This record gives sequence, structure tokens and C-alpha cells, in this order.
Amino acid sequence: MTELDMPAWSEPFVSERRADLSRVGPFGTLERDFAFGGSDGSGVRVAVIDSGIEKDHPAVGGRLVASYRVEPTDDDPIVVDDPDAIDVVGHGTACAGIIHSLAPAAELISIRVLGPDNRGKGANFAAALIWAIEHGVTIVNLSLSSRSEELFPLFHELTDEAYFGNVLLVSAANNVPGPSYPSLFSSVVSVAAHDVADPWTWYYNPHPPVEFGAYGLDVDVAWRDGGRIVATGNSFATPHIAGLAALIRAKHPSATPFEVKAMLAATANR
Amino acid sequence: MAADRRRRLGRDAVSVLEAIALRAEVGLRVYGDSARAVLRSIVDATVTLFDAEAASIALYDAASDRLVFEVASGEQGQGVIGLSIAPDQGIAGYVFRTGQALALSDAAHDARFGRAVAEQTAYVPRSIVAVPLVSDDRTIGVLEVLDKRSAATFSLRDIELAAVFAGQAATAIGATRVERDIGSLLESSLRALADADVPEQATLDEIVAAATADLGRDDSSRLWPLADVIARLRTADPDQLELVTDILDALHRRATRDSRRRRRSRPDGGDTSESR
Repeated sequence: MTELDMPAWSEPFVSERRADLSRVGPFGTLERDFAFGGSDGSGVRVAVIDSGIEKDHPAVGGRLVASYRVEPTDDDPIVVDDPDAIDVVGHGTACAGIIHSLAPAAELISIRVLGPDNRGKGANFAAALIWAIEHGVTIVNLSLSSRSEELFPLFHELTDEAYFGNVLLVSAANNVPGPSYPSLFSSVVSVAAHDVADPWTWYYNPHPPVEFGAYGLDVDVAWRDGGRIVATGNSFATPHIAGLAALIRAKHPSATPFEVKAMLAATANR
Repeated sequence: MAADRRRRLGRDAVSVLEAIALRAEVGLRVYGDSARAVLRSIVDATVTLFDAEAASIALYDAASDRLVFEVASGEQGQGVIGLSIAPDQGIAGYVFRTGQALALSDAAHDARFGRAVAEQTAYVPRSIVAVPLVSDDRTIGVLEVLDKRSAATFSLRDIELAAVFAGQAATAIGATRVERDIGSLLESSLRALADADVPEQATLDEIVAAATADLGRDDSSRLWPLADVIARLRTADPDQLELVTDILDALHRRATRDSRRRRRSRPDGGDTSESR
């Protein structure tokens, strides 16, 4: 019942609805050139918490500097080295490829959370995120979400911790209408897909919870075993915004997550 | 003291749970087919609406830790029924693990996203949309639609539409009020029973194991053909059902009487429950 009553998060960004997004911004126009002109993402570390990243995939351009995986233990799960750098699905490699295509000099770090143990989903995510906060990662691409009310407090605490720790979380809204955490928290940059085939087109939605729309329909992406496929979903829109954020953070190293989000909004297509 | 109370709770709980487990198992037999019928009608509708080659629903089976394809529709879908995959592999695994719906196509490339299943069915899809089945905040399975005939890829709208069908399927599964996983049903019942005095996880596991020990495995039990007959009677009219109930009632009374008589006639008056 409630599911059908909930909005589809990509709805504000489809062509027939986009006129509703136009408004007069409070700061006038911010030129994209000011925000990230000349930037290639140098010095920025972007973590992809996903299914892994294929180290040798041409789309990653050799920028994968470290690979980890979350391993369950009797106690809390721990983050360990994953020297083989595999991607069990292809999805994480797709996200990494998109980030690399926008911010070619940004360093990529893979934290693989999809493993054979499904029970510790929240705990796995927590371990990955805490690791990222503690290891100098400044942007985290998160194409995962949960609608579990049970995980709400944990996700809320962690996203605040990231925000206060100067880590920008770029989080995919779920494609399926309904609650999706952590994408619906105000401390993250939440992203849904639009239908314009251009990685440099993004929209700001002044009516949260989902604030940004990026390229996510029929995107040509990297996939497992060195392959490529055409993919659709909010989880492919998200790394576009993560890549743009990497460009902004490289040019403005002192910019906080709040300021990066403001720049993304001010430079969005109108 | 605490251990004592736990043991007592354990004994009481086992007898209550045995009764629940038996009902659930009978319910599963009786209603199992109708739940499947609803799921089948949902994949049928999905195939028709999308004009797709196939649609399928895989549900997570906790006992085997596999995603099992329960129903499928469309010319290319049949081969998948009964197959299972690891819950962290491939597209279905990703969607199951992350709850994140996806649409993929290999229109321009040699992608191998359906490989694991494709190798078992000899059908390699060109495009696929996969959405999670969510019931009570939990992802319980995945709905997949393969190869829309009218287009090379699935749109954002298609993903949302597939999600509506997945919602129907999840509701249908919930509505049968029969937990597929009797273990988790019992565990939740036990937690409700115990309330303030929640036993340790290990104790819970033991109690559930004790209560379900005889279920499921004994497929040769004569009770199950009876449950199957009762399942078929669901369509009978009220008068006929009343008659059947009376007959079964009479049989039950007679069986109880017989067993009492047998027990009395034993010289040592010993326990007759030889089958445990």
C-alpha cells in the first residue's frame, strides 16, 4: 500500500517534469569553471563501497590504488586487504569507470561489501564506512541502500559521523519507490537518474529528499571480465555526481561536504 | 536459577512451538500451491505487459542459502524453474544483496551478466531488469524480466513498473500467512512469547531445532497425503466441508479411543510413542 503511495525518486528529473526544477537560485550564477575548471581530481581519494573493482579493467585506467573487503568475524566485521581485486558482479567496476571518466586523476579505493554472508549487511556497511572515514578518503560512492527501519539509527549515526569527519557521501536513491537509507538523510548527497544521455548534465532538485539527478539511463559502463554493458539505474547516476564532487574537492581542498553540495547545486543545469 | 527458568521456558516453548510448526507445515502444504499460483499469475502478467521473452521470481531460501527460481513465464522462461544461484552472484544476487534495482543490456557489447543461469538454461538474455521483492523491510527475493521485444533496453519507467509487480508478489507471499522458513517463524513466535525474558540466541536455536526436528524431513509421513487431499478440498462447498469435518472428527475420536485401549492392554502400561 504505502509503497505505491511513495514517489519514484527519479520522477522529478524526467523530461516532462524538469520544468518544475527551475527557480532563481540565491547566489546568482556560479560558473562551472570556478567550481572545477582545470581540475582532474588530483589528490582526491574516492572509495567505492560496492561489489569490488576489477584492477586491470581499462575503464579504471590503473587508478585503483588499494582494494579491501569486509570480512565477517565472531565479533564485528573487519576490513582486510583484497590483493586479488576482483569484482563479483561488475557493478563496482561500472561505478569506478564512471568516476574515472570524469575525474581521471582521482585515486580509487575499492571496499567490497558483497560477500557470502548476508546477515551482517548493516554491520558490513558500517565497517566499510568507518574504515573510509579513518583512512583519509574524502568521497565515498555508495550505490547501496536499505529500507530496513532497523538499520535507520545505525545509518543515521554513520552518515553524521562522515559529515562531521569531512567525508562526502554520495548515495544512490533506491529505484524502487519507498524508504531508502542512507540516501534519504540530509547529510548525504542523494542521487537519482535523469534521462539525458550526457555525463555533464546534472540537475538540482530544491524539493528533497533526493536532491540531484544525473545520467543514469542507458549508460555505457564497464563490467566484469574486462567487458562493458549498457546499464540503467540510480546506482549509475550516483558515480557521475561522485566524479564531479572529486573535481570540486581537488580544486577546492578546503571545501566541506556542505560547500561541495552547494557548489554542485549552484552549477547544476537549469 | 536463570538456567532453570530457561530450561522450563525451553520445555514449554517446545510443546507450543511443535504445535505452531505442525500448523505451519500443514498450512504450507495446503496453501503452498495457491501462493505459487499467485506468483505465477504475476510473472504471466509481467511478460504480457512488457511484451518480454521471459519473467521469473527467485526467492531466498535461508536453509540452503540460495536464491531459488520458483516461477517463470514466457517461452524462454521455463528452463529456469527450480534452478538456484548463490545469493551474492550475478545480477539477481546483486539486487538481492543491495536492494538496488537495475536494468542492463548488452545490445552493443559481449556482456555476460546472465552467465551463471544462462549456462544452465542455454538462454542468454540481451537485456534484463531486476528488482527486489521486499516484505516487511526485508528483501526476500528478486523479480527479473528478460528481453523486452519492442526495445533493446529497459527504461527507468520499466524499472518502476517492474517494482510494482514485485510489490504485488511480495504482498502475495505475505498474504498467505505461511512463513516459508518455519525456523524463522518459530524464532519470532518464541521472541514474542518470551518477551521481557529473551533467551540467549543459542538457546533459541536449540529450542527451534527441537521443535522442528521431525518436520520437513519425514516426507513419507502419512499425514502429508492427507494434507494434500485437504488442500484440494478448498474449493468444496460449505456443506461438503462440514461433512468432511464431521467425518474427520469422528475418525479422530475413534483413533484416540483405540490408542487409549491399546495402552491399557499393555501389561507394563509403558509408553507407546515408539516413533519419535
